[in-house]
Amino acid sequence: MSSATDTELLALHGLAVKKAGSPAAVAAVIGAEEAEVEAALEAAVAAGRAAGAKGTFMVAPVGREWLDAQYPQAFAGFRADPAATEAYERFERINRALLALFTDWQMVPTAGGERVPNDHGDSEYDADIVDRLGAQHEKAEKVLDSFAALEPRLGLYKQRLDSAYDRALAGEHEWVSGARIDSYHTVWFELHEDLLRMLGREREEAP
Amino acid sequence: MTAVADRAVVLDGATVPSREVVGNKGRSIAWMLSLGLPVPPALCLPIEECRRFHAGGGELDDEVWSSVLAGVAGLEQKLDREFGGGERPLLVSVRSGAAVSMPGMMDTVLNLGITDTVEAALARLSGDADFARQTHCRFVHQFGATVLGADLDEPAADATPAAVREAVRRDSGEEVPTDPQEQLRAVIKTVFGSWSSRRAKAYRRHWGIPEDGGTAVIIQAMVFGNLGRDSGTGVLFSRNPLSGEPEPYGEWLPGGQGEDVVSGTHDPLPLAALEASLPAAHERLIAAATLLEREHGDVQDVEFTVEHGQLYLLQTRAAKRSPLAAVRAAVDLAAEGAIDRAEALDRVTPEQLASVLAPRLEAEVAAAAEVLARGTAACPGVASGVAVGDSEAACEAGGDVVLARPTTSPEDVSGMIAARAVVTERGGSTSHAAVVTRALGRPSVVGVGEGESAALLGQELTVDGSEGVVYRGALPTAAVDPASVPGLSRLLEWARELSPVEVAAATSPVDLLRLAQGKSIPQGSEQEEEIS
Repeated sequence: MSSATDTELLALHGLAVKKAGSPAAVAAVIGAEEAEVEAALEAAVAAGRAAGAKGTFMVAPVGREWLDAQYPQAFAGFRADPAATEAYERFERINRALLALFTDWQMVPTAGGERVPNDHGDSEYDADIVDRLGAQHEKAEKVLDSFAALEPRLGLYKQRLDSAYDRALAGEHEWVSGARIDSYHTVWFELHEDLLRMLGREREEAP
Repeated sequence: MTAVADRAVVLDGATVPSREVVGNKGRSIAWMLSLGLPVPPALCLPIEECRRFHAGGGELDDEVWSSVLAGVAGLEQKLDREFGGGERPLLVSVRSGAAVSMPGMMDTVLNLGITDTVEAALARLSGDADFARQTHCRFVHQFGATVLGADLDEPAADATPAAVREAVRRDSGEEVPTDPQEQLRAVIKTVFGSWSSRRAKAYRRHWGIPEDGGTAVIIQAMVFGNLGRDSGTGVLFSRNPLSGEPEPYGEWLPGGQGEDVVSGTHDPLPLAALEASLPAAHERLIAAATLLEREHGDVQDVEFTVEHGQLYLLQTRAAKRSPLAAVRAAVDLAAEGAIDRAEALDRVTPEQLASVLAPRLEAEVAAAAEVLARGTAACPGVASGVAVGDSEAACEAGGDVVLARPTTSPEDVSGMIAARAVVTERGGSTSHAAVVTRALGRPSVVGVGEGESAALLGQELTVDGSEGVVYRGALPTAAVDPASVPGLSRLLEWARELSPVEVAAATSPVDLLRLAQGKSIPQGSEQEEEIS
């Protein structure tokens, strides 16, 4: 794979993980220079693999197919590496724990199994969940270190997760699972998608 | 409180030490004992000892250690049990307990004191070798995870302690001690050490909590609910947490041990079963819950265990309740004089009131409608629209659409924002789709089954995210009549009386409550309820 295709593939991959975004947002996912990403995305638009307007790009259906065709070869080494598989298993374990805690964060269990929306009136309840988030965050950092040893750009997720965790710890509720910002869940969700694409796996949803 | 060799504190309720001395949990145990309530005996290393531990370079000195041993001997004596051996073994729980609860502190290690010999004794005592083995596994697992930082899967039901030990060794490179005293010493050091954990420090920095505080350590005897027919475990609410009715409500699991109720692995019985089989324990439990509710001025959720007919209270806290119960209990408590009207208003959040008044499908309407799919109710609420299969379509349609997909990935978030409701084929209440729809306030039903979403496309449908049902057609929703909700009319009357400003007649009940609570009315309060 030539280095030009390399950047284009990564830029388009980063765009697919985010669905739509600016060159800056994609650059933050793949750890490349913004200008370089912008040029790669412009090239992808020219090739019909992406669509762009007002500095925001989207993967085109053709680009999606192109990516799916490129993945097996582009990430052959990663897919074959037992260290990646092993780290992904640890990732899955954290993923289950995190999704359960996001659910507890949003919906408070009451007697009889019914859950009600968390109005954040019980600071002990919230502190307990932020504590669980912290415990998983520490495990996530270790897993990301393992991934970064194989694919350095994956280490970038650490900073993004850390900054979401830090704001959650400071009592900014929406940074745990808010959907419109780079909350812990948003970043984790993207990381999950990133790994699934790299490894060529199907999403398995928790029961 | 009695001092053991001056360094540990026996929590016997003779006095109630302050939370600055023994922490929140320590104070709560002493306080319940001072009310004459049955709580398993406990001792405490006060917060002062945490400071001493850190000043001493992270070591327990001989004097404090002998105070711990003397305290444990006191627990043995009180219960006629033996720590680390004997025919009637004593197991303890060890917890942290700062004056203010904070993330990053070591939480709890249960079943400490178990060894192969103790496991055998426990098996004889309970007549249940599986329980004894599982208790041993749980301890090894918990010690490995919390003290040694091992990353482990929950032990399977048929796991052996040796296998769990090996898993801990593989992951952490360290051994779980087999000597009970060594176990205890290590856990105490972990609790004190956790005061300086990265997370606890970060939390204190954010909240301006002084670094020179510390945490207490609570060492409490464990009691057993599985010692035969006159034992068991359960949970009691001082009022019904679903309806708010002023009747005790609870669950009783004869022969069950603490975790069994919480984990849902066994089906508990209603409280009446406890009343029928162990009337004295039941009577004492109800009296305790009534007393605790009066003292706290709020509905209590009490965890309890009965060991050979003897009732023990393990924990009490303000009960989580449904929005309906929040309204009713607040009004009833004020009517009974337990709290005043202003306090009653503060007990109901605007979100709870909004939920009580949220428009819903009427039963007759739902019964007459055609059900297209059923799944897990993931985000409450009702919404209608035409089903579309992907984000592009959802964003382009612009009108009322429902996003129906096999599963969701980050690229579907924009479609979920554009849609009124979401339906997915796979996943349950903790799927990404469930988390995102709640964060967006979009009613959702997840896990309707493989291939089901394609069949919905292009149809107009109604998603009931409270019940987990998808109906054909756009069904009408109906507003809730305040008079049909027990307590609500009085609550709104009090809100009007206590509101600091003149309230316009057209003010919505939720905004009325906000004004009475001294809050301002948010801009555009018509927007969806986002749960973040």
